[in-house]
Amino acid sequence: MKQSHDRLTLKGVGKSYPLATGPLRVLEGVDLEVEPGEFIALVGRSGSGKSTLLRLVGGLEEAGEGEIRLGERLIRGPGIERGMVFQEPRLFPWMTARQNVAFGLKEGTAGPQAGRTVEQYLQLVGLEAFGDLYPHQLSGGMQQRAAMARALVSHPQVLLLDEPFGALDALTRIQMQREILRIWGESKGTLILVTHDIDEAVFLGDRVAVLSDHPGTLREVIPIPLGRPRDRSSAEFGRIRTEIFNQFFGESQG
Amino acid sequence: MPFPGKNGNSSFQRLVLPLFVPALVLVFWQAMSELGYLRPSILPSPLAVAKTLAALVASGELPTHLGISLFRVLQGFGIGTTLGALLGLAMGLSPLFNRFLSLVTGLLRPIPTIAWIPALILWMGIDEGSKVTVIAVGAFWPVLLNVFQGVRGIDRKFLEVGKVLEKGPWTLLIRIILPSALPSLFTGLRVGLGFAWASVVGAELIAASSGIGYMIMYAREVSQPDVMMAGVFVIGLTGLLMDALILRLERRLLRWHKGWEREKG
Ligand SMILES: Nc1ncnc2c1ncn2[C@@H]1O[C@H](COP(=O)(O)OP(=O)(O)OP(=O)(O)O)[C@@H](O)[C@H]1O
Ligand SMILES: [Mg+2]
Repeated sequence: MKQSHDRLTLKGVGKSYPLATGPLRVLEGVDLEVEPGEFIALVGRSGSGKSTLLRLVGGLEEAGEGEIRLGERLIRGPGIERGMVFQEPRLFPWMTARQNVAFGLKEGTAGPQAGRTVEQYLQLVGLEAFGDLYPHQLSGGMQQRAAMARALVSHPQVLLLDEPFGALDALTRIQMQREILRIWGESKGTLILVTHDIDEAVFLGDRVAVLSDHPGTLREVIPIPLGRPRDRSSAEFGRIRTEIFNQFFGESQG
Repeated sequence: MPFPGKNGNSSFQRLVLPLFVPALVLVFWQAMSELGYLRPSILPSPLAVAKTLAALVASGELPTHLGISLFRVLQGFGIGTTLGALLGLAMGLSPLFNRFLSLVTGLLRPIPTIAWIPALILWMGIDEGSKVTVIAVGAFWPVLLNVFQGVRGIDRKFLEVGKVLEKGPWTLLIRIILPSALPSLFTGLRVGLGFAWASVVGAELIAASSGIGYMIMYAREVSQPDVMMAGVFVIGLTGLLMDALILRLERRLLRWHKGWEREKG
């Protein structure tokens, strides 16, 4: 990720999918301003439109309503300045881990400098010894880390992560959360991370955006006034977690 | 390998097991001949066929005919697969182009290759041209269909990755579309080579003055059933070897694919 000076702005963003039974409203009136270098954690139930929102910012879907801007520029399609890690690793099975990461480089980048960059990012995600393995020879977590490195090599201004730790066990997950904080800290790019794990959201985000469902609207954007590294067992952490939990299940059950 | 019996991969199972049935058939066949149930002028014994086969190889007659047939296959297969792969790729990439050709391909594809032979002889004469064309037609369809399906069936998720990274159409084609269609191409090549081989023999049976098919046909005319049977056996053996060759190439080029399929379950 690159030091970015462009603010990401979503204004009245809405999205419907045409279905046989009529249009399905997935997102409605989403307003969000993401400061340059900010870490946003996006939480919501399954099916609330988190992936859809990320795909809109990534330019893979077109918003039916509203607009999304990076700086002054209207987002109309995908761009390498907005890196994306999908919900599943999507590594190319015919490329080694190293080749997959190298594929993330900007078109036309080659030569020894490019090779060094690739090695550097393999190392960043802890795969320097596994560069020659094919995806099917990597564990699920390693695949997801390789996908992360592929999205990072081109230094995107904005990194969009769709539940990148969803398939990981709890221990690897916690380790990867620390890693992502370190990577983000080194580059100070803008980061939006989708998760349905409230604990993860509070641990990582500068702010936590809560998406309600049917249709998905931004219910609240909660700032996390905690320094890093955060202590999951602290009273303040617990208070914020409960607050977000109540957004979903109501005060009574909190 | 913890359960060799289940995988069917021990060398016993791989090399010895397939030999049982042929051995049984040969023994039975030889016994029937010895007992006088089979007339040598209709079906000679396996030993007699083997002797003839050895003589045909030694005299150079069989290698010459086989060489001629193989050379024809090489040319026809090369032309047919190249055209099939290119057209399959174009049809897979462009739904419009596919629509444009759908009626033509739909109409021509069900025609058996053999049915073309008389027409081709009429148009091109009895010489090499007509035979190479028949082989090309035989190899063309399986390659076309498989490449088409391979390109069409590409996982859109992979293309999205390319788009997010702003890759150009050329990179998408070379690095994503072609590799993901490669397993289908190989399926097409394997089937196509089988068809090509069957087509050359067919064409030589009908009209030729050389080649393994001609050798069989001529043997029938001059009442040499042993030569006939030796020829038939060699056709089968050659087909088997060609398939093994292409399978080997596939294993080498598509090592990632096997592992990937296994992981997906
Ligand atoms: N291409 C599509 N066509 C029609 N409907 C779609 C399409 N993609 C998503 N949807 C619908 O949009 C809604 C939101 O989907 P989305 O994938 O954004 O949810 P999500 O919040 O990411 O869920 P999860 O946590 O399970 O990944 C769902 O109801 C889904 O059925
Ligand atoms: Mg999702």
